[in-house]
Amino acid sequence: MNNLRILAVLVGLLVFVTSASFVRAQDPATVLAGAELSRVVPPGFYFQGQSAPTQMRNAAAVRFGTNRQVVAGLVDTSGYAADVRAKYEGFLITDSPITVNGSELGIGAYGFGFSDDGKFGLLDVSGKEVLSTATSKDNVLKRPRPLMMVKAADGVRLYSGRDYVTIKVR
Amino acid sequence: MKFHPPLFSVTACLLSCSLLVAVIAQTPPKKPEPQQGMGVSTGAAINYSSRRTIGINDPKAPLIFEDVTDKTPLAAFKHRSGGPQKEYIFETPSSGVAIFDYDGDGLPDIYLLNGSTMAAMGGKEKAPRAALYRNLGNWKFEDVTEKAGVANERWGFGVAVGDYDNDGHADMYVGNFGVSRLYHNNGNGTFTDVAEKLGVARKGWSTGPTWGDYDNDGRLDLFVPGYVDLQLNALPPSPGEASKPGGVGQNFCQFRGVPVMCGPRGLPGEGDTLYRQKADGKFEDVSVKAGVDDPQKYYGFTAAFVHVNEDKLLDLLVVNDSTPKQLYINKGDGTFEEIGYPSGIALNENGREQAGMGLAVGDYDNDGRVDFHITNFSDDSNVLYHNDGEGNFTDVTFQAGLGEPTIPFLGWGTSFIDFDNDSWLDLFVVNGHVYPVVDENQWGTSWAQQALLFRNLKNGKFERVAAAPGSALASAWPGRGLAVGDLDGDGRLDLVVNNIDSKPAVLRNTVAASGHWLAMRLVGDVSKKTPRDAIGSIAYLTTGKLRQRIDLVSGAVYCSQNDQTLHFGLGSATKVDKLEVVWANGAMEVFNVPAVDRIMTVEQGKGEKPDPKSQISNRRSPP
Repeated sequence: MNNLRILAVLVGLLVFVTSASFVRAQDPATVLAGAELSRVVPPGFYFQGQSAPTQMRNAAAVRFGTNRQVVAGLVDTSGYAADVRAKYEGFLITDSPITVNGSELGIGAYGFGFSDDGKFGLLDVSGKEVLSTATSKDNVLKRPRPLMMVKAADGVRLYSGRDYVTIKVR
Repeated sequence: MKFHPPLFSVTACLLSCSLLVAVIAQTPPKKPEPQQGMGVSTGAAINYSSRRTIGINDPKAPLIFEDVTDKTPLAAFKHRSGGPQKEYIFETPSSGVAIFDYDGDGLPDIYLLNGSTMAAMGGKEKAPRAALYRNLGNWKFEDVTEKAGVANERWGFGVAVGDYDNDGHADMYVGNFGVSRLYHNNGNGTFTDVAEKLGVARKGWSTGPTWGDYDNDGRLDLFVPGYVDLQLNALPPSPGEASKPGGVGQNFCQFRGVPVMCGPRGLPGEGDTLYRQKADGKFEDVSVKAGVDDPQKYYGFTAAFVHVNEDKLLDLLVVNDSTPKQLYINKGDGTFEEIGYPSGIALNENGREQAGMGLAVGDYDNDGRVDFHITNFSDDSNVLYHNDGEGNFTDVTFQAGLGEPTIPFLGWGTSFIDFDNDSWLDLFVVNGHVYPVVDENQWGTSWAQQALLFRNLKNGKFERVAAAPGSALASAWPGRGLAVGDLDGDGRLDLVVNNIDSKPAVLRNTVAASGHWLAMRLVGDVSKKTPRDAIGSIAYLTTGKLRQRIDLVSGAVYCSQNDQTLHFGLGSATKVDKLEVVWANGAMEVFNVPAVDRIMTVEQGKGEKPDPKSQISNRRSPP
């Protein structure tokens, strides 16, 4: 009987822990638009000694729960700079720990780039690589955009055209 | 201990579910699919062992275009656009060209815009001059710039032709970096700049304008895109100062790691302007009221008033550099609705903003709807948008065979042209890079580039026409502006290319296997509220089961103007079954066409107009 009680307690704990993390992982995600989006997107971003203006038309944000945000936007790097854009084309700011394609990412502001060879790289503001992950391609997406966030069953997808990575809150 | 199956099951389930969650969480990301051969924005650096934009020819290819420049006075024209190093963005895009019959003698003339220099802008040297060449026939031209008074002597970019005052003489608007001009054709071989007087002396950086009667009052209105808001006294860093603190060596103004001129990204853009012509002949700026002022300040290059849907109202397409394209649908109440994104035309099929330069307007698949071809930067393909109807477009570039072949090229002027008169619109593109430094590196591209001619295969696809050695297609130019017209009246369309920092290229169409043809000039009835030059009208020509459509458009191409004589290739057909004209006022009329292989003039409400200036072709019949 004691063993049964212990087992019941263990099961209860497991149920609590699992459900708690499940609830946290299931924090409702809301992709922001309009005024809510404008409120959280910064007008520019500092990276490697330069500040560049945000392309507000190509900015996106998601709110997890009530007050945890992930914000991303493309910036106006000058000219038609090919390799610069592959390495750094925008910023990603998160005020909560998240995962990107399962890799953990801490609170912070980062530069990012989607490369043509199917990679998504995150860099700290000094240009040092923080994370690199393979992107997925969505060939059935209607009317893709340069940058957008879309809720999906497996998290929130950060799209660059048809390429995307999946973001989840931790 | 007793065994409790239900409890065990719950525990086991939770554990296995947890494990499953853990396993899923640790599953490596799905391996990316191989990169598809679709349009992409400027890609990563690739080194090539040879350039892919020059020296590509085929000894077996037939001669199609002969470069006859040196046989004409146009060879003396030297375009100038800043210095050779191209340190600033205003030195790189450069000028358009117009083919139009300014003196009404039935022969299309040529107007070449010129650029300028910093020294000329500062009054330290003589400004480069634009030039007007009167067509004397038989490939003879006379430089009449001085007499005509159209030297411009400002940094010229775009030109659009339109008879804004309905007096029967073609006028032209010139978009400058500085103050733009409206050259009124006085009807006696001279022009007068009336831009200030009529309220269209736009300041800033005006590019490829377009005329069109968007409000159906019978008077042409004018749209002028703006490019970059650049002040000469506050220029961005230049590559020549790359090593200085804050210079391009330390910022993002680089191409493949090499310092280059800054922009357009990172520089402030300029809004666009719509001038509505009032009853008194003056113009008013209605950009904001009409909803086409471009508050996002995209980098506008080329525009065209054109009927995108079938509602008889002129719509407006604006091709922007490095920002989304804008498609404005005319609501019929003096305002427009911008539908670039939902229409599918703002971006390419992969959702990328492209560096739009030039615009070709035409119904390439003869389905009765107008399609668009737009040129872009190197490392990116040009883009072909098929009009699906009801304001929807699909990027069909790669399906059409126009993707891969165009990637190394940096495209500018583009036009649909039925070069062999087979009744199907082919495609011509002129190219040239903006960074001189590309010639110092093996990036597979070059400063001067070959032009591209794509033959329409009549099944929605195109193929590049091979260049015969020594022919115009085998030559390489730093091309920018392009204009199409039948300069010798032989029924085969010729071309003029305005090349940056170079002489132009005059290309005579010598294709041997050419079909029958019919060219027509439209004259609108002003009393019925159609502009006299009929801009905004559409001609449909039926031969057998084929019904072609050609729109009478002002502007487009890239800051340039094609001859507004509509040219139909007829293939083997020797008679036209039906000619319908939908005039700019929306009225439809059917005309009888008694003979082909000629130029006819059609007047609204009056039928074919006897025109002694229309030259019957003396060209032999096609084989």
